[in-house]
Amino acid sequence: MKADPSLGFPIPVVDQDTQPFWDGCERGELRIQRCGACAAWLWQPRPICSSCQTPDPVWTRVTGDGVVASWTVLRPPTLPAFASMVPFVVLLVTLDEGVRLLGYLVDGAGQVCQTDGSAEGVRTGRRVRLRFHEQAGVPLPCWTLA
Amino acid sequence: MTRPARVARHRQAAVVGIHALPFSKNIGMTERRAGGLAILGALADAGLAVRDVDAMYRFVWENTTEMEMARILGIENLRAFGEVDYGGGAGAPTVAHAALAIENSLADVVVTWRARNRSSGGRPWVSQMHAVGQDQFERPYHIVRPVDGMALHTRFWIEKYGWTPEDLGRVAVTQREHARRNPAALMRKPMTMDDYLSSRLIADPLRLFDCCLETDAAIGMVLTTAERARDLDVTPAYVTGFGMGSGPQMTAMTFYYGEALGVTPSRYVAPELWSNTGLGPKDIDVVQFYDAFTPQIPLGFEEYGFCAEGEGPAFLRSSACPLYNTSGGGLSEAYVHGFNLLVEGVRQVRGTSTTQAANVRHALVTSGNVVPTGAIVFSKEPW
Repeated sequence: MKADPSLGFPIPVVDQDTQPFWDGCERGELRIQRCGACAAWLWQPRPICSSCQTPDPVWTRVTGDGVVASWTVLRPPTLPAFASMVPFVVLLVTLDEGVRLLGYLVDGAGQVCQTDGSAEGVRTGRRVRLRFHEQAGVPLPCWTLA
Repeated sequence: MTRPARVARHRQAAVVGIHALPFSKNIGMTERRAGGLAILGALADAGLAVRDVDAMYRFVWENTTEMEMARILGIENLRAFGEVDYGGGAGAPTVAHAALAIENSLADVVVTWRARNRSSGGRPWVSQMHAVGQDQFERPYHIVRPVDGMALHTRFWIEKYGWTPEDLGRVAVTQREHARRNPAALMRKPMTMDDYLSSRLIADPLRLFDCCLETDAAIGMVLTTAERARDLDVTPAYVTGFGMGSGPQMTAMTFYYGEALGVTPSRYVAPELWSNTGLGPKDIDVVQFYDAFTPQIPLGFEEYGFCAEGEGPAFLRSSACPLYNTSGGGLSEAYVHGFNLLVEGVRQVRGTSTTQAANVRHALVTSGNVVPTGAIVFSKEPW
């Protein structure tokens, strides 16, 4: 991942525990950890299963399909790099595997929608599909309405 | 599980000194100077001196360490010291640690304080561009301001409980009324419900007037033993008890990743608090709920058992609702990570609030409900 901090967007500081997640994003894959012993889905990344304490949960590709659990519309004052994007929607998505992730509301091509969500009919419970949006060299998992 | 009664403990702590420098948008001095002056003011309020101090506790987010402050003030030896993390969750737990040091005879006179140039010093999130740990999955999407994290919870609560904008506006308007009676409060202009409803959205569904102030502030607090407190020329606020809690899968502010969305750490604190104090919500005469954002007030009444889940807004409208956030709180007096709420709880016990509740026996003060947190009860009478 060739992240460019000079653009003013917050940049992930990747470590051994989160590297497989970002490697997956580079390949256009969403990877979530699943315990090899008890099969629990785990988010955020961690070195030990929080359900049965077995080390090294297995990174597993998922579709990214899910539903909107909550959402907000971000408005000024924002970090300067985001000023031209507002208003935009951040979704909290519950994947079909049961874990929740954050991501922008994007269009089908992965571009961040400049919207308060009303034109798109964003609401909790709406089904969403995974798209990737590259920001400052970082491929970010995001969601578009299904 | 049965717990040993706290009344079996051999020493009780009491707050005997409080002092706040004037709240402002620009205090014009360093946090270490402001903090030092606030501590000296609190000691003077108690009738104690620096030579009496033998322990200090602070927020992790307090930029001046207790060692630096002890050096500045010339404290001979700290017999106990420590820090509590998690921003707005740290207030009551910091005072609780001070009380624990006294109860367990680690120390006799404990100082704690909060000095923060949160207005003139700029917004901390502006410079946090390297997203470490949990932040790497949040900050790139601009979940960076406290209001961003809170907005996602608030949407969930609004939809689950059927809150209206007026339900949250009532909190903002009520606390502004309290601030208008408090000469120390920064926001004393009248606020109507229309003013609230027409304030601009910051992170939907949260508006400007759902958010706390950004303040330069410094507040000191001194605790000592109940026995010594009785020899001082102050009305002691006895520490009857406290509780702390995190809940599962806690990431602070953005704890969306556990199984039950919207269940706050305060729901885990409440049973600890009531068990620890031997009290219940019916015993509480006045409350100061942590209020970085308006939703924390109706939720606070639910979390601590004043009313059932989902009934917070109705409870706020009822005659059973005790006075809350009587200084104006974080929304209209000053935002100091809730330390102003702690000294206001002490004032209620002393009988010196500008929005004084009648016959206060027990005053509840909570810390931030969306971070690892705690709550404390100050009382008029000792155990």
